[in-house]
Amino acid sequence: MTTRRAVISSILIAAALLWTVTVGAMFRAIRAFEATPGRAADALDVWPSASHIPRAAGEWRLVMLIHPHCSCSRASITELQRIIEKSPSSLQTYVVVYRPKDFPAGWEKTDVFVAASHLPRTHILLDNDGHEASIFRGFTSGQTYLYDGDGKLRFSGGITLLRGHAGFNSGSAEVMEIARTQGGTAKHPVFGCAINK
Amino acid sequence: MTDTNPTINARAITLRDEQLRARRVRIDRMFAALLGVQYLAGIAGALVVSPYAWEGKTQVIHTHVWIAIFGGAGITILPVLLAIFRPGATITRHVIAASQMLSSALLIHLTGGRIETHFHVFGSLAFLAFYLDWPVLITATVVVAADHFLRGIFWPESVYGIANPEWWRFLEHAGWVVFEDVFLVWSCILGQREIASSALKQAQVEYLSEQEQLKTAALEMALAEMQAAS
Repeated sequence: MTTRRAVISSILIAAALLWTVTVGAMFRAIRAFEATPGRAADALDVWPSASHIPRAAGEWRLVMLIHPHCSCSRASITELQRIIEKSPSSLQTYVVVYRPKDFPAGWEKTDVFVAASHLPRTHILLDNDGHEASIFRGFTSGQTYLYDGDGKLRFSGGITLLRGHAGFNSGSAEVMEIARTQGGTAKHPVFGCAINK
Repeated sequence: MTDTNPTINARAITLRDEQLRARRVRIDRMFAALLGVQYLAGIAGALVVSPYAWEGKTQVIHTHVWIAIFGGAGITILPVLLAIFRPGATITRHVIAASQMLSSALLIHLTGGRIETHFHVFGSLAFLAFYLDWPVLITATVVVAADHFLRGIFWPESVYGIANPEWWRFLEHAGWVVFEDVFLVWSCILGQREIASSALKQAQVEYLSEQEQLKTAALEMALAEMQAAS
């Protein structure tokens, strides 16, 4: 009876230690995952002429690169919708969807893709093997660019606060402010899955 | 509520404690099952919402899945073992309260900070009130407040959505929990009073019944003696 009690007490003490360690380790792991940004784009200061996205002189362009299977990019699409709704109607948006050439047809048709295709004033561009992302020198899903009417880069970065967290953040606020006032420039960390290594 | 007879009072306290203990053992078991279900739901949610992280063409198991499996297990094991081996003990329900709040924090993270998942905190507090032990609610509230306070200092974006919240912002969040606590603490006190009142009535009935049995036995004995004498 005494032995059984000692065994139970030992198990409970071990579980208590595990419980304490887990709480600390879990929050550290979550923080490391959510707060570590992806690789920032080496964005060009002027609109890349090699791009397949049409742009006439005087037109502003909002471009976002996404990996369709990146669950964190749902938050980026949510924020993109907020930006589009609060920006001038003349602003055209392009969502560049990464798609490996040798993957089966329809691989890219995820909920992220569907959400992007329902955005107002938005065009979807399928990006075979990340070629377009390379032209924009982007590496991370959620990477967003805002180019002005003169083709100058006004914003480069992500529009979410953390990985997979939609909601108010300085990235999307700056894009909205620049698009509305047509003044200023900004950068912001980008959070999402890698598109091009 | 007490009786003038100390024997009745002592019996009423015993009955009250027995009823409360039986109730708390049942609720410990309910929480053990609930924590297990939450653990599995966390893993299932992570597998459905974000099974993989991608690097171009390469997919790897998403960090959320590992956190749901190992973090969830670490949180769940201790309260479940306590519910099995130490049911009804004070420490068991306080550990369950803290673990339930940590499960809320984990589920909030796994759902990307969805505001709807925060309702889990309020639902859990209501379940914890079933214990009719208001200090358990204080333990749960302290865990929620500490989680918000510490994350507010070290990682404010994850809890408030902004990088530079006011230092007192955690009080606003904890304040809503305290708002619910006020009513739950009150209901715990009322519930305990009702159980104590019912236990007192039972003790009084038992005492009266016992006295009647003694009187009957004395009468029967007297009758028997009279019959024997005649």
